Amino acid sequence: MTPTLQLTIEAQGYFSNCTHCGFCLAVCPTYKLTGDENNSPRGRLRLWSEEAAGRLQQDKWTDFYTAECVGCLACETACPATVPYGEIFEHVRHEHVASHRFKPKLALRLAAAAVTHPMLFNLAMLPARLLRSAGLSMHRFLFPGRPSALKSTAAYAEELMQRHRPTGPRVAFLTGCLMEAMFREINFATVRVLIENNVQVIIPDGQGCCGAFQEHTGLDGVEALRDQNRRAFGPLDVEAIVSNSSGCGYALGKTLQPNKQVRDVLGFLGELGPVRRPRARDDGTRLYVDLPCHLVHGQKAAGIPAKVLDATGYRWELAPKAKDCCGSGGVYNIQKPENASAILADKSAFLNEAEGAPVILGTSNHVCMMQWHSAGATGLVTRPYEVKHIIQLLDPGEKFSIPSTSPQP
Amino acid sequence: MTSPVKDSLEHQLKALLPRGRVLTSAAQLAGYGADGLGYKNHLPDAVVIPADAEELAGFMQGARALGVPVVMRGAGTSLSGGPVAAQGGVIVHTSALKKIREINTEGFWCEVECGVGLNDLDAALKPHGVFYPPDPSSGPVCTLGGNVASNAGGAHCFRYGVTSNYVLGVEAIMLDGSLHRFGGPAGGRGPWREDWKRFMIGSEGTLAAFTRFWLRLLPLPEKVWTFRATYPDMKTTEAAIHALVAHSSYPAAIEMLDPRGVAMVESSQMACGLPEGSFMLLVEIDGPEALVNARVQSVAEILRHAGSQDVMFSDEDALRQKLWKARKASGGLLGQLSPSYVVQDAVIPKRALAEVLQLVYDEADAANIRAVNVFHAGDGNLHPNFLFDSRVPGELEKVELISKRLMQRVIEVGGTLSGEHGIGNDKSAYMPLVFGPDSMRLQLSVPAAFNPAHQMNPLKVFDNRRFVA
Ligand SMILES: Cc1cc2nc3c(=O)[nH]c(=O)nc-3n(C[C@H](O)[C@H](O)[C@H](O)COP(=O)(O)OP(=O)(O)OC[C@H]3O[C@@H](n4cnc5c(N)ncnc54)[C@H](O)[C@@H]3O)c2cc1C
Ligand code: SF4
Ligand code: SF4
Repeated sequence: MTPTLQLTIEAQGYFSNCTHCGFCLAVCPTYKLTGDENNSPRGRLRLWSEEAAGRLQQDKWTDFYTAECVGCLACETACPATVPYGEIFEHVRHEHVASHRFKPKLALRLAAAAVTHPMLFNLAMLPARLLRSAGLSMHRFLFPGRPSALKSTAAYAEELMQRHRPTGPRVAFLTGCLMEAMFREINFATVRVLIENNVQVIIPDGQGCCGAFQEHTGLDGVEALRDQNRRAFGPLDVEAIVSNSSGCGYALGKTLQPNKQVRDVLGFLGELGPVRRPRARDDGTRLYVDLPCHLVHGQKAAGIPAKVLDATGYRWELAPKAKDCCGSGGVYNIQKPENASAILADKSAFLNEAEGAPVILGTSNHVCMMQWHSAGATGLVTRPYEVKHIIQLLDPGEKFSIPSTSPQP
Repeated sequence: MTSPVKDSLEHQLKALLPRGRVLTSAAQLAGYGADGLGYKNHLPDAVVIPADAEELAGFMQGARALGVPVVMRGAGTSLSGGPVAAQGGVIVHTSALKKIREINTEGFWCEVECGVGLNDLDAALKPHGVFYPPDPSSGPVCTLGGNVASNAGGAHCFRYGVTSNYVLGVEAIMLDGSLHRFGGPAGGRGPWREDWKRFMIGSEGTLAAFTRFWLRLLPLPEKVWTFRATYPDMKTTEAAIHALVAHSSYPAAIEMLDPRGVAMVESSQMACGLPEGSFMLLVEIDGPEALVNARVQSVAEILRHAGSQDVMFSDEDALRQKLWKARKASGGLLGQLSPSYVVQDAVIPKRALAEVLQLVYDEADAANIRAVNVFHAGDGNLHPNFLFDSRVPGELEKVELISKRLMQRVIEVGGTLSGEHGIGNDKSAYMPLVFGPDSMRLQLSVPAAFNPAHQMNPLKVFDNRRFVA
């Protein structure tokens, strides 16, 4: 039988690392949800390797189980044999899309095309930014915030750099596509926090989408984006390249390795020991910290440094099951909303009972923030809570402690 | 691929499981072809995932009429070909039966469904200050159903005893649909002096489907100290093991990694600074704080006296867990070295340790096969892992030949086939090495009494235990 799934020799070699020990089953959200071994990492790897070896014909169920994977990479962390599941999965998904075995939803195909043209994308998202700014966005994924409608993060960073002239380490900042087009206020906060901590921020021209969107959807175009970013970031002489989205940081990291390291901005700040935010003594706020999959399972970071969380000035603790997936999975909550919601239901239930007034759910990835916000919007969580990026909780606002060369507004 | 027979099977299964899942398409069966021995493939005709215990009971009532083998499966981590459809038929996956029904801290027992994960149970028990001692290394994923059916052991079973020491009661459903409770929260044997639940424990799915268990718990030890000592050779390591075992207050666990196991750990993400070329012992003592603290130096002294220049010990959780993680993940770490492996599970009198290990090395080296030993040394429960590439013709045959020679020697020194992994279909060929024809006939009469046609998990434990429709 000629195999109906073509894999590179490299990917085929990886399969053979899998000893079938099953350690990955216990951490997989779709296995936990369905109890079906085909819907687990070990099962999916088996289906792909059987098909690649020509022992299993192309089957709509293989397509189904492949599409069910959230891409959370918890299985990589659990795997003692270091099977690079994510790499194999990305390859298979791309094959499935290319051979029409799987078709991402129209909205995702349009968005994937749009993010390759940042200028257009930013323009197209202007109304959404305006709505969010005015507090009028009602979509279940759109958490509140006040993004600047017109000024870009690059322009803003340049302005602040001129004003404060920090003298510390130089970093290049990946502003991202959705982050810049929709949730720009988090980028602004990131720039402020870096400068407050005496870090010099440069925002390289010509940077593009990190490619995660294409990776998540299996659509073409990843290589072009990777090339663009290699050109934009490759030649820079900086201490670090930082990202405030663990998914984007992970994707850019894969692009630039082994020549350049990409750091999560919170991990980077953890090493500097960030300036602590003052809070009132009787502040009853409780911060519950969730850890994005692409931070702990993708970038393989231990978590968000305690120094950084302490610097928020709030009483914090890790959310229960903090290293488990919230169901966002990049675009999974759009592609497979029912599964995503079931995964989130389990994870977010604690918020209903959680102590604190107010309660903040803090994380470090905008797509996770969207997913967490939807828990309230869809009634999974019935008490009020805010979703914040941890960097926003370190934000000095306009009250910098670092000196300014021009009068503050 | 559809056929009238298959269509009708699917139809009947759907009628038996209105709420659960019925999987019949080729790609749905592919995920169920193997257990922890990934290189072997036995495709079932169907897989069912009952939604709950009631549905499993309903299924068992109609299962005999299906006229095909019935194979129970927990997490599928067996290392002996247990939960696979060696003669085709239906696999019953217990993944949805995950309820912990009661934790009784006064009576020191709990009631769990068969699909509960071992570490999930551990996590649920911890806040109550109690624990369930058997700890197979597959704990993050294996189920209690699989543990009971294979009478699982683990590192701490040296002092605490294996699964059978902790099963108070088993609820089992036979193929005629009848439901039986052997024992219960109070333990006990049964209507008369026979301990029927002992028949169930270790039966490898050949007698009945287990739905739930009552398990004995112990108070969590107040204090735990973990030691690691390295040795230059097998002789000194063996001396340390004997001295530890002979001590009047013997440890809870004595685990061993040979130099190849040490090298494997050290070149992985689990590295914990073990010297190259050394044999490592991992030893643990636990109990009331004052008592355990008073024993620390004497255990360290035993380890040193046997010939270790490198004894370290700690009561710090992070450090202890790092060592245990490296030990427990080593089965999976093998994947970093080789595509496939066969692991043997022989138990030998501890006096023969050095000799049998030498045989493992000699045989493996002569056949150009890599062997890695990571095992429960206190129990004399060997786990030689023979690494091979199933895609290379002849490699598996070489490994099987070495295994057979090893087993012969194990029997000669007074050992036996399996300490904890079970026989399944991977080790059934060795059964006649241990048991004569009369003994085999007697043993076979047990599954035959429970299901005369051998419909439950055929071709397991006994090579010739075949289902005849
Ligand atoms: C990396 C690794 C390390 C391991 N370490 C150990 C160890 O230290 N000690 C040890 O003892 N084992 C060990 N094992 C082997 C294996 O994990 C154990 O045998 C475990 O008990 C199997 O549990 P499971 O849920 O995976 O059962 P499965 O593999 O699914 O099934 C095992 C057997 O139980 C039967 N069974 C399962 N559920 C039921 C039920 N509800 N009713 C009736 N029969 C049932 C099956 O038919 C099969 O015969 C290890 C395995 C791996 C992969
Ligand atoms: S990436 Fe996540 S959802 Fe996909 S197989 Fe791995 S653990 Fe499961
Ligand atoms: S944990 Fe790794 S080696 Fe084990 S079954 Fe999963 S992918 Fe395979």
